[in-house]
Amino acid sequence: MKKIFLIGIKDLTLVFRDRPALIFMLLAPFLLTAGMGFVTGRFSGGSSGLSDIPVILVNQDQDQLGNALEEVFSSEELAGLIEPTSSSDVEAARRAVDEDEAAAAVIIPEGFTRSIIPAEGTRFDQSFLQSEPVKIEVYANPSRPTSAGIVKAIVDEFISRVEERRTSGMTAIFQLASNGLLTAENAEAEVRGIFENMQDDEVAAITIQMNEEGAEAVEFDILSYMAPGMALLFLMYTVSHGGRSILAERSQGTLPRLLISPTSSTQVLGGKVLGIFLTGVAQVGILILASSILFGVEWGDPLGVVALILAAVFGATGWGMLITALARTPAQVSNVGSALMLIFGIIGGSFINLEQMPSLFRTISKITPNAWGLDGFTTLALGGRLPGLIEPIVALLIMGVVLFAIAVVLFNRSGMLQK
Amino acid sequence: MKKILAIIWKDTIIRFATPSEILFFIVLPLVFTYLLTGGVPSGDDDPRIGLLVVNEANTPASQQIVEQLEMSTAVRPETVTREEAESLFDDRRAEVVLILPAGLSSDSIQNGTAKVELLQQPNNMNALAARQAVSTAIRRVTSSFSAAQNAVRERERREPFASETQRQQYFEAALETARVLQEDTPERVTAVEGSTAETEETPTYDPRANTSAGQLITWVFIPLFGISALFAYERQRGTLHRLLTTPVTKATFLLGTISGQVLIALVQMLLLVGFAILVMKLSWGRDPLALFAVLLSSALAAAAFGTALGTFVKSEGQANGLSIMFGMVFALLGGCWYPLELFPTAIQNAVRVLPTTWAMQGMLDLVLRGGGLPEVMGEVIVLLGFAALFFVVGVWRFRYD
Repeated sequence: MKKIFLIGIKDLTLVFRDRPALIFMLLAPFLLTAGMGFVTGRFSGGSSGLSDIPVILVNQDQDQLGNALEEVFSSEELAGLIEPTSSSDVEAARRAVDEDEAAAAVIIPEGFTRSIIPAEGTRFDQSFLQSEPVKIEVYANPSRPTSAGIVKAIVDEFISRVEERRTSGMTAIFQLASNGLLTAENAEAEVRGIFENMQDDEVAAITIQMNEEGAEAVEFDILSYMAPGMALLFLMYTVSHGGRSILAERSQGTLPRLLISPTSSTQVLGGKVLGIFLTGVAQVGILILASSILFGVEWGDPLGVVALILAAVFGATGWGMLITALARTPAQVSNVGSALMLIFGIIGGSFINLEQMPSLFRTISKITPNAWGLDGFTTLALGGRLPGLIEPIVALLIMGVVLFAIAVVLFNRSGMLQK
Repeated sequence: MKKILAIIWKDTIIRFATPSEILFFIVLPLVFTYLLTGGVPSGDDDPRIGLLVVNEANTPASQQIVEQLEMSTAVRPETVTREEAESLFDDRRAEVVLILPAGLSSDSIQNGTAKVELLQQPNNMNALAARQAVSTAIRRVTSSFSAAQNAVRERERREPFASETQRQQYFEAALETARVLQEDTPERVTAVEGSTAETEETPTYDPRANTSAGQLITWVFIPLFGISALFAYERQRGTLHRLLTTPVTKATFLLGTISGQVLIALVQMLLLVGFAILVMKLSWGRDPLALFAVLLSSALAAAAFGTALGTFVKSEGQANGLSIMFGMVFALLGGCWYPLELFPTAIQNAVRVLPTTWAMQGMLDLVLRGGGLPEVMGEVIVLLGFAALFFVVGVWRFRYD
């Protein structure tokens, strides 16, 4: 046992003296996690990094509704999210969007208000109701799809409220007219009166209750998904790098030297596996700790975190050993390991949300330690504890045992560890 | 010229010495582009987000909500039992569940006591979109009730109802009128995608084009940064030192190495663009010359960066690690994985020092704005400036051993 431990510690020490390996194992995932933190607004406290979205308003309507929409964009509620500027030149506004100076231009055409609320002297008849609607134009910047989408949503929301009032007013008018309470003489004045006196505090409503006691109640930190996502991605590099060292020792002649010492091949293999395992645990542990200290990520149940890290590294180590057993040269291990790191990254959920994928894809993802590991970290982030992690932990342990057994069979067949 | 061609051939042989290089050269870029652009078939022709609906009320009012949801362009309602919904939600196989509880009726809506429950998975974009769709559907249903209530009030202001039955009949008729008016609501907002194209054909925004361009830059820049590993490999084996004994100048050697890798990168880029156009049916702009200018200048900038990096690294392993790390981080910060608009303004300004930012900007001008050579000239010039700068640093610091 002591020999296994010594070989393992020796390999761990060697990795931590290898600066290029450290850059890849620790710095790369850390920088990517930080970048993701910026994108998701994690460091700015928002739901995304979006703020001060530049919008150009061209109000050619200069009437009740056009002015109201301008006020919406300048409201206190949207301060910080939207940075509106006014312009009277439609072409200049479009040009500014084309030159990426604004996320969108909102062009309110002349007559917009009067196409909805009839002006004094307007005949309120079929021709008014069936007239072509005057449309607001949202000229969107295609390279800022999210910002432009937010601007469009604000305009849509405003129009939706206007439509509600319009429908309400029209319903009242039609009902009065069909009951003979609206005559041709008083129709115009009544219509304007109804539109102007409409109440905002409607009683009819349906309250939407969100899942208070469920997942919604827990403050979900996006970094508690992304940081382990990146750590597990680069863990695959670490385990293949460790496996590579076995073949490198053989080609450099240090492996046969180890085998002629009073050390059994099982002890040598055990020591190498322990080295890979300890390196992986150190890597993921450091990244988790660093995310906690520098980004303030709360990982939840410490016992659950430790158990999950150990199981995830165990499962990944199994893959590292299998790659090593199948490869012939250290370079092959590196190449296959890097490829597997990226493939597992994408099918295991480090790059894309697996929930958006079809069920077949999610099933395939179960062969990766990334998918099970992220499943466990998500459970922890949602307030779960060790008992809730049983499924991913057991799956990762079975993965490790099966892959390790296959690797041992392949090692024996190739006679690599025979004295 | 002969020497340069010989160096190009030698580097191509070294790079493709192992079959696994094909994996990084074309297989993985295609897989990533395909998956990240949503290429995986879901087996379902309806692209709307699945929304589980538990209709425990079974009233006309609850049915109206379901009907409104069925008309939604965002969600696809599927009615299930509460047990089924909760089981799927707990297993995270359902993103969002709407429960219409017993008691949801026309009366409860009118007196404002109606409630529905919405279960949504946290931090899930689809769940947020579904929540929006549910709010819209509910608002459409409640606004018709509000309109009918308003109609009743207006009537009462002029002439009181003779009985409660008459009042209710008036309300029912007004409710029907409100629904008809809602259905006939005209479009009052039009969204136009910005375009610098002078032709009538305005490109429509397709997020897949954005992803395709971003993946192209990521997968081409990483191996070009990896030129540093090529130098380190030759230095470690002493073959670079051996060049001193041949009549090959430093400039010839660097030119040969960079040209070879840029040519390989251009082939890789054209394969990825071809895949995007032919398989993914994406538009890659209207001006092939402008596309070539952006691709070439991007490749030159990345290759020159790899050359400069090669003069700082000591070993092949170090070069490999750094080139992948720089490639991924530059891609993320340059807007290749997520639109740059999502980053804080300070970061958006800071990342202008990265070649990936300009390469991505140039490609977006082509694929999203339908721009031509004049529109991308700014980005091309900046990328060539990067190439010149890094190349000068590379030549200045270059050493044979």
